Amino acid sequence: MRTDLTDKALHSEFRRKVEALSGQNLGNCYQCGKCSGGCPVQPDVTVSPNRLMRMVQLGMEEEALSSDSLWHCTGCATCNGRCPMGIDIVRIKDTLRGLTKKVRYGRGSLEVWTFYESFLECVRNFGRLSEIGLMGGYNINSGWLWTNMRKAPWFIMRNKLGVSPHTIKRLDRLQRVFDRIEEIEGK
Amino acid sequence: MKYAYYPGCSLEGSGAEYAHASEAVLEALGVELEEIDDWVCCGATAAHATSHLLSLALPAISCAAAEKQSLDIMTCCAACHNRLKQTNQQIKDDPKLRAQISEIIEEDCQGSASVLHITDVLARAVGLDAIKERVRMPLKGLKVACYYGCLMSRMPEMLLSDKSEYPMLLDNLMKAVGAEPLDWPFKTECCGAALTLARQKTVIRLCADILQMAKQNGADVFAVACPLCQANLDMYQAEAEKLLGERFSIPVMYFVQLMGLAMDLDPKRICLDKLIVDHLPVLAQKGFIDAAVFL
Repeated sequence: MRTDLTDKALHSEFRRKVEALSGQNLGNCYQCGKCSGGCPVQPDVTVSPNRLMRMVQLGMEEEALSSDSLWHCTGCATCNGRCPMGIDIVRIKDTLRGLTKKVRYGRGSLEVWTFYESFLECVRNFGRLSEIGLMGGYNINSGWLWTNMRKAPWFIMRNKLGVSPHTIKRLDRLQRVFDRIEEIEGK
Repeated sequence: MKYAYYPGCSLEGSGAEYAHASEAVLEALGVELEEIDDWVCCGATAAHATSHLLSLALPAISCAAAEKQSLDIMTCCAACHNRLKQTNQQIKDDPKLRAQISEIIEEDCQGSASVLHITDVLARAVGLDAIKERVRMPLKGLKVACYYGCLMSRMPEMLLSDKSEYPMLLDNLMKAVGAEPLDWPFKTECCGAALTLARQKTVIRLCADILQMAKQNGADVFAVACPLCQANLDMYQAEAEKLLGERFSIPVMYFVQLMGLAMDLDPKRICLDKLIVDHLPVLAQKGFIDAAVFL
């Protein structure tokens, strides 16, 4: 891959945007690679956390936003814990994931997006998460109808699935909260 | 001692035994709980991975409710604890953010209540000595692999003020009830957490590594404090065995279930029968459960 190291690349609009949204200074990253050394999903991704950081430093917007590492990240924050410069890498990844919403990049993002969306949809409708609602929503929306179906009897036998969703009293307020945030951040 | 209790969604569903066992143990140790009025889901990974404001607004609703009850917040779930504590701290430190979030949730949230995890309450507020005194059947000779997972151990300055790479809170609690906590290297490895539906292969691989390491170190049981760690390690143990081609059969128990067992609490309240990997062989072999009762 050819890398642009000109002044323009190093002070890109994209980098400024990520820094502003995440509140992190990307200039602090000196590519030691400790984040990638501890990353549990390292074997599954082509772009490791330190490479992702480098892409943002160099303003490589398309590469960063379409990288698979965003969608394999478990959010475990090992990278944060080990970063010698104290950069909140999870926050940067959250920011990048948020940005993919607008441009519709995102290789391999379908299942994870669907999971997040089914999760939040459930919270929005009931105020609390019902696991059966989440699994049903995920399986239907993602098209993977049989995900975890083999496990369901175990859970039902042990009475471990909350079947009826728990609703809260002030559901109208919660829905206004969701609406307001959508207004501020854009859908 | 009284706390505003935030159960969280998992503890009303797949982690019900964690809730029941925690309530039983805390009651036996004289800790009172008052459920937060009309609490809502903390949003967990789904919120913070997709919307920064939502990840703060959802926990803030519950924090504001707890402030009205003028109690400190206690929660059992590692993810809820992580989200509530981070939100609370950010709202407390940043007046501009406080104003914005208060406006969004139509309620004043000051960030004045402290957010505590149940391990914190047990080990620090109740104290290890009080727990030792309450033990009726020490779990002598039970080798416990204390598994903290990610959300309990990262960002130590904000969370548990325990060491992030080698925490000891659970180990100390297990020692207090007479068990033998293991010195093993995977205490804080990640189990794959929320990817459990979307990236099953990853989760199975990560769980297999953790299970194998525990077995190599001679673990009889796991002690966990997070409903997702428990679900993943317990539910995918068969798949992990297939992946690595070896038997594990290590029961994955909540640490409060082990404490309840040692404190001789009502077995119905510690809900051991809800575990997928059978706990009877190990516990009966060590003599903590009368095997005949279950035949």
